Amino acid sequence: MTTAGWIIMSISLVCVWGLAIWCYKTVLSTPPDDLSEPPAGFGA
Amino acid sequence: MSTEKDQWGTRLGVILAVAGSAVGLGNFLRFPGQAAANGGGAFLIPYFTALLLLGIPLGLAEWAMGRYGGKKGLHSAPGIMGVFGGRVVRYLGVIGAIIPLVVSFYYVFIEAWTVGYFLKFATGGIGIDRAAPIAEQSATSAAFYNSFTGTAADGVLFTSDGSFTLLCWLVVFAINIFFVYRGISKGIEKFCSYAMPAMAVCALIVLIRVLTLGTPDAAVPEQSVSNGLGYMWNPDFSRLGNFQTWLAAAGQIFFSLSIGFGIVINYASYMKRKSDVALSGLTASATNELFEVGFGGMITLTASVVFLGLAGTTAAVSTGSFGLGFTTLPVVFAHMPLGNLVGAIWFFMLFLAAITSSLSMYQPAVAFLMESMGWTRKKATTAMVLLGVFGSALTVFFTQGGVFWNTLDFWVGTFLIFIMAMIQSIAFAWIFGVERGWKEIHDGAVIQIPVVFKYILKYVTPTYLLVIFIGFCIYNLPASLRAVGESRPAQYALLLIAASIVGLLFAVREGEKRWRAEGIDLDDKVPSDGDLGMAPAPASRRAPQ
Repeated sequence: MTTAGWIIMSISLVCVWGLAIWCYKTVLSTPPDDLSEPPAGFGA
Repeated sequence: MSTEKDQWGTRLGVILAVAGSAVGLGNFLRFPGQAAANGGGAFLIPYFTALLLLGIPLGLAEWAMGRYGGKKGLHSAPGIMGVFGGRVVRYLGVIGAIIPLVVSFYYVFIEAWTVGYFLKFATGGIGIDRAAPIAEQSATSAAFYNSFTGTAADGVLFTSDGSFTLLCWLVVFAINIFFVYRGISKGIEKFCSYAMPAMAVCALIVLIRVLTLGTPDAAVPEQSVSNGLGYMWNPDFSRLGNFQTWLAAAGQIFFSLSIGFGIVINYASYMKRKSDVALSGLTASATNELFEVGFGGMITLTASVVFLGLAGTTAAVSTGSFGLGFTTLPVVFAHMPLGNLVGAIWFFMLFLAAITSSLSMYQPAVAFLMESMGWTRKKATTAMVLLGVFGSALTVFFTQGGVFWNTLDFWVGTFLIFIMAMIQSIAFAWIFGVERGWKEIHDGAVIQIPVVFKYILKYVTPTYLLVIFIGFCIYNLPASLRAVGESRPAQYALLLIAASIVGLLFAVREGEKRWRAEGIDLDDKVPSDGDLGMAPAPASRRAPQ
């Protein structure tokens, strides 16, 4: 593998792993969605 | 009739369900092949560009549209899109019901392959003799694939030769039906909350196995993990000057994220009214990218180069995603230490990827039948099952050369998706208005999307889509039209698509009458920004116990 290949692979992996970890960390660390029930009958 | 609602139980639940819908066979099989054929590591430049300009903005728009429609008590693409774009867009929104329905016809068949291959590898493999010459091994693998998928002749799978395939197909169907019957929270969400982590564990096991292969045959030092990674990642920047590279990258992002399928809009409609859509949409996209680049980009071609060499892998890539996945990889697993175990884990992972996608294909059609015809979930699911069995049985019957399902895939799974995405893009950013849309995206949001995306949504995304669509038509339409003119199964496939469209248009008409009679705010006369205009859904559309 060439140096350019290593660089592109490393950047890509850091981006996708970093974004996924940040997203899940944020999802799990924020309060759950509005738990109040919508008016009866909402939904299918 | 019960007043029980269909609604996601948790934020993580809807994220995993949407991510499950997006992560499919294409992440592991199509992406590496596309990258290798279009400049290797250089492909990632147009790929990430398309993610930023096309994938993420359109995804956010679809999430916001779905939740907004859900506030008005609507859950189907035609109903929701009509709110955003008016009557014409409501009828065009039938595309959002037709795509998941028709794609499910052939997708469950392909899903059955993953089950069949998993069972074969779990019980000793598909009969490849690793002592034989590579050409002979490849021929054995191809013969199994052709026999299992019935590519030799139409109807062959309905003879005794196809009994194993038929059994796998029925099992896959039964599992799908079971979870769709159970509904959003108890069925789809619960299944995805187990299946997605399980898929990640399987992918991690296979990744570690592949990356620790080293150089298995000292006599052929060029067949190493390093060279395998190089095959996928070494950049050829000259390919960036080729329009087809950009077209392939945009196409990969587009189809990988399930944008324009009518699935996200339906799933998002079951969110709570103040649920976050910005972070949820971004997280679902990030999950898809992790599976695609982080696993798909590291496993498939690397393993192939290690055991089959550069020439063998190039030949495998030229056979397309299915050739790579179902003909080449079985040969690779035959050579790999613990190959049958790794193969079984791999195909089980593909099965999970496929079923989390197929489940999402049934739900939009079920929701559409429920709200347009006023049916209960049970009745709508039964109708969906009958339609699904009929359409899928045709796919299982017309197997020769894969012409029938390839035709469905091109016209519905590709062409109509472009159309749907363009309609959504225009309806959201131009008819509904990007300012209102931007506000809707951030209503209840945990994160703030950079404001530049507002302008991307309004100007760049529709233009980008249009350019890509024109390029797609120039490069693909002539050959596809010729194929339809020459092949009877292709004509039957188009007939099936046309019949489905007519049937669903009729349902939209019925639905429109019903919705108006029930006082649903179809034309968005009372904006649902904040808590305004959220009339409860009528009793006829409430889910049964």
